[in-house]
Amino acid sequence: MDIPAMRANFSKAAAAGDEAPLYFYSHLFLTHPDTRQLFPLSMAHQRDRLFSALGEVVARVDDLDSLVPILQELGRDHRKFGTVAEHYPAVGASLLATLQHFDDGWNAQLAHDWTAAYQLVAKVMIEAADEAADQPAWWEADVVAHERRTIDIAVLRITPREPFEHRPGQSISLETDIRPKLWRYYSPANARRPDGTLDIHVKARDGGPVSTALVRRVGVGDVLRLGPPMGHLTFDAGSDRDLLLVAGGMGLAPLKAVVDEVARNGPPRRVDLFVGARLEDQFYDRADLQRLEQEHPWLTVTLAVSDDKESALEQGDVGDVVMRHGPWLSRDAYVAGPAVMVEDTVARLVGHGVRRERIRTEVFAPSRPGPSVDGEVTE
Amino acid sequence: MTSDEHEAGAGDRRISPADLHHVRFTRATMLRPGYSDTEVDHFLYRVADELTRLHAEKAALRDRVRTLQSQLDDVPADVAPSDQAVLLLATAQQTADSYVAEAEDFSRQMTSDARAQYEEQLRRARESAGAIIQAAQEAAARMVGGGPAVVSAEPRERTTQELEEQVAYLKAFGQACRTQLRAYLEALLTDVETEWGRADPASLIQAPLRAPAQRAPQGGGGTTALNVAREVPLDDGPGGDAAAGEGGVEVAVRR
Repeated sequence: MDIPAMRANFSKAAAAGDEAPLYFYSHLFLTHPDTRQLFPLSMAHQRDRLFSALGEVVARVDDLDSLVPILQELGRDHRKFGTVAEHYPAVGASLLATLQHFDDGWNAQLAHDWTAAYQLVAKVMIEAADEAADQPAWWEADVVAHERRTIDIAVLRITPREPFEHRPGQSISLETDIRPKLWRYYSPANARRPDGTLDIHVKARDGGPVSTALVRRVGVGDVLRLGPPMGHLTFDAGSDRDLLLVAGGMGLAPLKAVVDEVARNGPPRRVDLFVGARLEDQFYDRADLQRLEQEHPWLTVTLAVSDDKESALEQGDVGDVVMRHGPWLSRDAYVAGPAVMVEDTVARLVGHGVRRERIRTEVFAPSRPGPSVDGEVTE
Repeated sequence: MTSDEHEAGAGDRRISPADLHHVRFTRATMLRPGYSDTEVDHFLYRVADELTRLHAEKAALRDRVRTLQSQLDDVPADVAPSDQAVLLLATAQQTADSYVAEAEDFSRQMTSDARAQYEEQLRRARESAGAIIQAAQEAAARMVGGGPAVVSAEPRERTTQELEEQVAYLKAFGQACRTQLRAYLEALLTDVETEWGRADPASLIQAPLRAPAQRAPQGGGGTTALNVAREVPLDDGPGGDAAAGEGGVEVAVRR
């Protein structure tokens, strides 16, 4: 395989911007009209996603050790979209047609290499999907409680109909019939419970089709579909160090799951949870945090506001407030929230002397379609 | 043609033009009762011509079948769509996308404007509430301590007088409040018991009326709508929950 030539060829298609994926999907839907139903009405975000995923593959094509796990996860994850092995050759043909269309220097060698590369990618994805075949492709879950906590935040409690196992800190993808084929990632705010229920914290993003539907339209009795759990802020159960948890906004959910995990399964240790928000009103889960703090002597919860002078809570960015307490040198740190907050907090912690490998982070970005390789989750 | 000859050589024998050329008819004896040589020869030539023409036509048809067949093999099962078709679908998709994006953008603007307005109003309300509380505290401080040290004797007398007046007023107001509140609560209780009794007559006899004096303090928190006794929505009517709990009566449970 002539990888430099393939990269050069791919970059020509990538340089065409939206044109290239537009061509790809139009080609695919014309040759295989049955694939159209696997995609949402608006394809705009889908197109971004396809080429960034392909770019990822092309960038790592000579580093199979890191590429294969990504492909395996992609393959498993694609089951929930209703993708089956028969779809892969169709996609491959349209991909080749696209790469050919945007490259005047297309030749038989490129066609051969891309065919081989695509077959490899498809093989890894299909095999991973097949290996996961004992698991459902998706889980149906009933909404058993829906609480509006603020004007744009709701806490949903859902019960998967089949056993669903996630580890604290992981995220799961959700789809509602109100917004078909649009999957968004959320972090359950609890560890595994005997009754299998999951708490999902959702903030309605302005103009966000799924989050607004989950907050304002979904109610008790509705059914959501869940994809398999994934994500990178997974709780390190092997460590018994004390914990420092720093949450910004909706980043509270996975960290609350960590608190829940310590409460349920131990080992016992000190846990300091800092939660930051702009305004005091935005602490949508304050009552429950107070309850947890009262129930568990090892837990300390500190709330910080960054833009609310009237508030009697701690003032300042949450990273700053964390630094006023401490020291944190002996802690495992988990940081989840908006990118700016995560970067700021991690920089402060590292400056403070916390070892980088003991800091786990998860960036919550508005309406990202899914965790990227870096693990982004919908806020 | 060669295959033809090959076929002809094997299996059942077919007449080739050459066969017809070389065919020889044996003459009959003596008196020539056989065919006319010229006629037979003429006929044989015609047959040979016809056969030649047929063979040529057959070969041409076979060639045509072959080319068509190979064309069919070259074409993949799914015919590649023309660039024009792809472009057409792409444009349609883009149009749909732009409508969805427009709708999302509109909703984004609406909600963010609404949120900004909501936060601003809340902020203003908080500020004015803070200002009112502060003013009240300052006024209280003036009334209680700070005043006498600064002001002259005459104003102090007036202040003292004012204070007494205010105290008297407040006492009267308190008395009025208590009376109204008691009336209100009694009315409420009567209501509750009537409803309760209607739902569960047996319990009414067992539940003796409490003395009004016991009831009055319970309403201490209800500072609003003192003089609208019966008309008021029974939002925080005391005892409402108990009544509802016992008899399932829809009183005072609209929370």
